Amino acid sequence: MLALRPSRFMPALRFVLALLVVGLIEVPGAARQTTTARSPENASYSIDARLDPVNRLIYATGRLTWRNIAPVPATELRFHLYWNAWRSPNSTWMRERALAGTPVRALRDEDLALIDVTKLALAGTAPVDLLPRARFISPDDGNAEDRTVLSVPLDRPVAPGETIDVDMSWNAHVPRAVSTAGVIDNTFFVAQWFPKIGVLDANGWNCHQYHAATEFFADFGAYDVRLTVPAGWIVGATGKEVSQTDAGSGATTHRFVERDVHDFAWVTSPSLVEVRDRFAEPGLPAVDLRLLLQPDHRRETERHLTAARATLKLYGQWFGPYPYDHLTIVDPVPIFNEAAQGASTGGMEYPTLVTTGMRWFSPWAGTAPQAVTVHEIGHQFLYGVVATNEVEHAWMDEGINTYAAARVLDETYPDRFVMVNRYFGGLAAWAFDDARWTRIVDGDRLNGLRPFASADSLTTPTWKMRPRAAGVISYNKTALALHTLERVVGWDVMQRILATYYARGSFRHPAPDEFYAIASEVSGQDLTWFFDAAFRSASSFDYRVESVTAIAADQTAPASPAATTISTVVVRRDGDGVFPIDVRVTFDDGSSVTERWDGRERSYAFRYRRGAHVKTVEVDPDRVLLLDLNYTNNSWTAQPHAAAAADRWTLHWIAWLEQVLVTYAFFS
Amino acid sequence: MPFSPDRPRATVLGAFLEGWRRAIVAPVVTVSIFVATLLFTLPLAFALRGMLETHLGQSMVADRAQWNWDEGWATEFASQAQGLGRTFTHEMLGFGGTMSISSGLLDARPLAPAVAGAVVAYVMFWIFLSGGILDRLARARPVRTHAFFAACGVYFVRFLRLALFIAPIYWVLFRWLHPLLFTTIYDRLTRDMTSEQQALLLRGGLYLIFLAALMLVSLMADFAKVRAVVEDRRSMLAALGASLRFIRRRPLRTVTLYLLNVLALLVLARLWLQIAPPGWGPTWRALLLTQLFVLARLWARLAFIASEVAFFQGELAHAQYTATPDPIWPESPSAESVARPR
Repeated sequence: MLALRPSRFMPALRFVLALLVVGLIEVPGAARQTTTARSPENASYSIDARLDPVNRLIYATGRLTWRNIAPVPATELRFHLYWNAWRSPNSTWMRERALAGTPVRALRDEDLALIDVTKLALAGTAPVDLLPRARFISPDDGNAEDRTVLSVPLDRPVAPGETIDVDMSWNAHVPRAVSTAGVIDNTFFVAQWFPKIGVLDANGWNCHQYHAATEFFADFGAYDVRLTVPAGWIVGATGKEVSQTDAGSGATTHRFVERDVHDFAWVTSPSLVEVRDRFAEPGLPAVDLRLLLQPDHRRETERHLTAARATLKLYGQWFGPYPYDHLTIVDPVPIFNEAAQGASTGGMEYPTLVTTGMRWFSPWAGTAPQAVTVHEIGHQFLYGVVATNEVEHAWMDEGINTYAAARVLDETYPDRFVMVNRYFGGLAAWAFDDARWTRIVDGDRLNGLRPFASADSLTTPTWKMRPRAAGVISYNKTALALHTLERVVGWDVMQRILATYYARGSFRHPAPDEFYAIASEVSGQDLTWFFDAAFRSASSFDYRVESVTAIAADQTAPASPAATTISTVVVRRDGDGVFPIDVRVTFDDGSSVTERWDGRERSYAFRYRRGAHVKTVEVDPDRVLLLDLNYTNNSWTAQPHAAAAADRWTLHWIAWLEQVLVTYAFFS
Repeated sequence: MPFSPDRPRATVLGAFLEGWRRAIVAPVVTVSIFVATLLFTLPLAFALRGMLETHLGQSMVADRAQWNWDEGWATEFASQAQGLGRTFTHEMLGFGGTMSISSGLLDARPLAPAVAGAVVAYVMFWIFLSGGILDRLARARPVRTHAFFAACGVYFVRFLRLALFIAPIYWVLFRWLHPLLFTTIYDRLTRDMTSEQQALLLRGGLYLIFLAALMLVSLMADFAKVRAVVEDRRSMLAALGASLRFIRRRPLRTVTLYLLNVLALLVLARLWLQIAPPGWGPTWRALLLTQLFVLARLWARLAFIASEVAFFQGELAHAQYTATPDPIWPESPSAESVARPR
């Protein structure tokens, strides 16, 4: 064993090492690491982009500074070229949309998107041209016609910890609005528009093709983006605008910078209306709000801002503070004729920028724009800060966010919302005051779950799920499962689970097991059974009261006032999912008993020998298991009112049918 | 037949008012049609009621549902229902139901098969009744039940033949004109539109064009039936031709009369917006208000038809209703002297 002799240079060396740790000395290759960096910031971009609005083209150059933070060397680079998904009808994205029954209809040839990389080179004293060796790959489905992943083999692997600079140029054609990006008239919403490097982890490159039912996944970085657009056009983007300069030829260059983000989106239009506001709440950092509205929606400013403030406040209290001091909220062009205009770019999230969705005629009692505003701003926390893999585990952002957003709506707008349906081409709306919004049915989306309840489990990678089912499983099932968890452990514990998850997952890519582990740890109980039932299984849940029978204990004097009755209550598990539940039996003498059933057997009988008859039976009386698809069969009463209810609503239905008959017979 | 000083003036407003007068003094007809309409709904209503009661069973959910609309239960029911059960949604409630139906017609949305079947049967029923209704309104006096149904029988087959001519025109309107307006033209004009207000104006204009086309066909069919009954025509092709000539010679007034009647229906709809009962509240009140609205709609429809009859009778001198048989003079010297005054 060697003895280490103290050196006279050791104190100085220790000082230098300490400075390095603190980050006061910049080391080449770690150019943007400062004391304020909260994320690894290993994928940073500096981009110059010019928009040609007439031809709907973007000409861009940029530099990617990428540091390999994985424990394995990178023998190749992989880039996402998302816009190539809308380049042809045979891309994976297009095929999956067709399979889901929602093909894109509005795209003519001139509306298609594309992104062509014209330069890709390793920067340095001897730049290496990487473009000739680049090739498209389809690691997910082998679709040779899908060009959304570009693989670039390297002569020399990038070692763990090593940093490289990659210079690139590209041209992109802005599509007609489709999914998350596009142009309608003069409003350009530009997202997923640059060659974005994939994520390298211990298992290699995590760089999926662009699928119809999933979104995006990237590493954190610092973005410095200069956008040149026609002078006088409003620009909103990720980050803060730090300068505007005259670019000549009637154009202006807007510079936006942001640290610790993993994407960059922007919008520009000559017609947006800008409103500025400020979120200020004791105990939470202030946030400058910038609302970019469609001209027709000026009067809806406060609805947007109220929702934004409520989200920042409640998410801030439940999860943790919003870590940026600004947020841009974009009201996109309303889509009232998707077949012609294209799909909405609303309802999406990008770091420090969200798109909402508003209609000109939106009843006050309807959820637009509040619901989408809350949801998308919620994504700033779940996606923006806790940057989970949306392609493989969409539930971790969409599902948790749907659950939390429903709670925000329920708390901020109690008894406010009703169902609103749109008529006459979607241009007129009617609020049905009787059909009230509830957190469980509408917020957590129970109704949408029913057709797909058994479609898949949350452990299936989202991109592998059936396109039609993926969204429902990720959003609805997760929200209902988490709301169930809230009822199992209580809100106080649930809130601490969320806060712990947020604190530990901030500026990282946490995996599902981390969430499960945190839930068990914080709750102080082993919740494996819960996650096995609700997350790791594709089973659906349906418990019901099967029968209630009563016989006299003494058959010789059954009608005697003192007669004892043997009542048998049979409860049944119709679904494949197993969940422990309570069964409450109430007797006509006012007494009640609550049984705990493990829910495992297909049916279970409870017997009671009493002087009273069973009056009501309730399976899951406190409605803990919100994944139970059919709640009507959860209860039984000795004095049913089904006939009265059926009569009442049938009379309303008769009036409706009479109107149908008289309306159509007008033309006879 | 002696000239009647009560013969209506052939002005649009006069005909409109006369139409309402004739409809008001024919309460038996109106109420009978109302009762028949209600009876038409009963088979499907009983079927739906059975589904609802079965689904609720002995559940405690019914305790709430018997008093208030329970959206959770209703969506659960509709999610497992087939066919007719899927029409049981909150869109049937109140004025929203009226909007939903109107929008469905104008946007050419298909009806649920069970409901479509009921509509076809009801349309056939209305065609059957049309002869009797027109006969009664043209006479402007009470008729006996057997006379009413005798007229229904006389004109039923004729009006079926007329429907064979009219139905294809409606089919063309819905299958060709509607897509032309609301797909081809609407899509082209909204492709780069960003303002919903503009889109609403545009779509409103297209609705007016479509409604105008529907109106013209409806107007043509209405006066064909009027002429068929008032002039006792057997050829429906000839009745259509006569109807077109009648409209062509007085286009502004016929259209104005039609629009005046449409306005009356819109006023009725506006009243309904005000009084349409909510889901909660006493069942008897909901039943009363909804049925009053249906009755009022039927009355307005009869007034519509009556005004067209009155206008036609007022316009054409020979169009005194000739259904009363010519008197047969008795054979006697005194009757002969009355018939031939010196």
